[in-house]
Amino acid sequence: MTGTVFDIGYQSYTGQREGRSRSRRAVYKDGIRASLGTGRGGRAKILPWVFISVLAAVGLIMALVAGAVNRFVGQGMADQLNLPTHSDYNGIASIIMFVFAALVGPELLCRDRRDGVINLYLVRPLTGSDYIAARWAAFLTVVTAAAWLPQLILFIGLWLSAPVPMDYLGAHWLDIPRFLAAGFAMAAYATTLALLTASFTSRRAYASVFLVGLFLISTPFTIGLAMEIGGTAGRWISMFNLSNIPVHVNDVIFGDVSEITEEAPAGELPAWVRVAWWFGWTVVPGLVLWARYRRLTP
Amino acid sequence: MRPARAGGVMTPPIAGQPLLEVDHVTKRYRKVVALDDISFNITDGITGILGENGAGKSTIIKILLGLLHPTSGTAKVLGTIAADSVAVRARVGYMPEHDCLPSQVSAAEFLTHMAEVSGLPPDMARTRAADTLRHAGLFEERYRAIGGYSTGMKQRVKLCQALVHDPAFVFLDEPTAGLDPTGREEMLSLIRKTHREFGISVLFSSHLMADVERTCDRIIVLHGGRLAHSGEVAHFTKETETVFIEVDTNRAELVAALERRGVRVTPDGGGLTVQGSDQSIYDQVRDALVEAEAPLRRMAPRRRELTELFEGRE
Repeated sequence: MTGTVFDIGYQSYTGQREGRSRSRRAVYKDGIRASLGTGRGGRAKILPWVFISVLAAVGLIMALVAGAVNRFVGQGMADQLNLPTHSDYNGIASIIMFVFAALVGPELLCRDRRDGVINLYLVRPLTGSDYIAARWAAFLTVVTAAAWLPQLILFIGLWLSAPVPMDYLGAHWLDIPRFLAAGFAMAAYATTLALLTASFTSRRAYASVFLVGLFLISTPFTIGLAMEIGGTAGRWISMFNLSNIPVHVNDVIFGDVSEITEEAPAGELPAWVRVAWWFGWTVVPGLVLWARYRRLTP
Repeated sequence: MRPARAGGVMTPPIAGQPLLEVDHVTKRYRKVVALDDISFNITDGITGILGENGAGKSTIIKILLGLLHPTSGTAKVLGTIAADSVAVRARVGYMPEHDCLPSQVSAAEFLTHMAEVSGLPPDMARTRAADTLRHAGLFEERYRAIGGYSTGMKQRVKLCQALVHDPAFVFLDEPTAGLDPTGREEMLSLIRKTHREFGISVLFSSHLMADVERTCDRIIVLHGGRLAHSGEVAHFTKETETVFIEVDTNRAELVAALERRGVRVTPDGGGLTVQGSDQSIYDQVRDALVEAEAPLRRMAPRRRELTELFEGRE
């Protein structure tokens, strides 16, 4: 039997139009896809997935080491030997996460401006504020997931390798909200700085190099200067170590000092100062980012 | 007029009412007056907006899209003041002049996303993207990355993104810019199809008069931020009350013979222009040619061209 194909011509759309809320969700969804390279060529997927894999691998290795210690050294020895755990993970992985944000984050804004796609967004039922909020939320989601995934792997690894898993769960269940909160703090900070830098250029490479340079240079520079000057001034100079800002919040959340910040003079400042400092470094760049897109026109 | 469709976000257009209403709009940038007290209404059809660079074409389009606030006056789109709400943009489309396409993604993926950004649910967005690409002749190429498309194909994708959410009105900014003659012809044909088959009204900005003349029903001419002309294209290009005659010799004798018959005749370059285009004028010209023994080279009714709008001739 053969069928016949009829050209039914142009069909008007008579269905539902969901307006601005759908627009925001669409930009958010596209932001997540762009961050992960989904729907793009193979090259676009390499960078994000390499970093996510590395972050997950760090968590996995830490979990395997704890498991191996419990199995081959002695039951419960992982806990007694004070092996790196959730608090330390954030310190160890923070620099990887910042580099990830610096290399991948600008993709969400730079390409839209370079290709001119931003001009199409701004003539749709969407404001500049909606656009930048959706992009920020999208990248925050990806970075937060990248921060939480290894912590979950680590927690499950530590839990299952413990001599009495239920005892471990009872003793360490608070680590879950702690690493969720600390991961979010780190992700919000990295996302905001990455997107703010990206808002100043249409070239992703420029934004990435600037950000990586900023994180890498601020560490030895502030450490050296803080050591040299010492005292309260040294502690405040140490606060300008950009890669440590969310790690101090991590320390406050876990009530512990991670390996990365144990030498930092800023760690001696009150907890509220360190949290407020992180809050300022996240909110102020966020407001600047918003201001740059709020009145944007094609 | 195209029937109103469910918008959910605004009142649909009512038959007979203008789709665009520009009422005494002035736009000043400090000391520069980009638009000076412009007023016009646009109803169903294809309207061309003509003007040189800096005439104010892009400014009026941006005001109608709600991207710029006029210094004074009001601009309404589908009955809503454009600058008051972004919701109206769910019912209009815009094709910019400059590059606006991502190179990495496929046309199908990009159009689906743009339909969603215009407020369509994901399933419908996917269907509309495929349909729109089919109507633009890009169905077979829809899964290829846009970066690999030719200029003409990219221009069609730009038009598709403006149509994918089935707007009531679409703004096209220099849609034939950078196209070769074939691509230009295809684009003009697609623009005509947009209105005649899809029922979507068009405001088409251009500085190419031939494109506007061949495609539009009405024109608006801007000159230095002011409204120079507006009306039906047919009115501007209709056969005027003149006949153009060219003879090989005895031109002066022909002028005298025509004047003896009471026909108004004026020199026009190498030929003569005779007032009137009804059948009797041709009889009088024939008789005058015989009397003056002037060998006829060419005789034709004369059409006024849009170029004359800029030359100040009417």
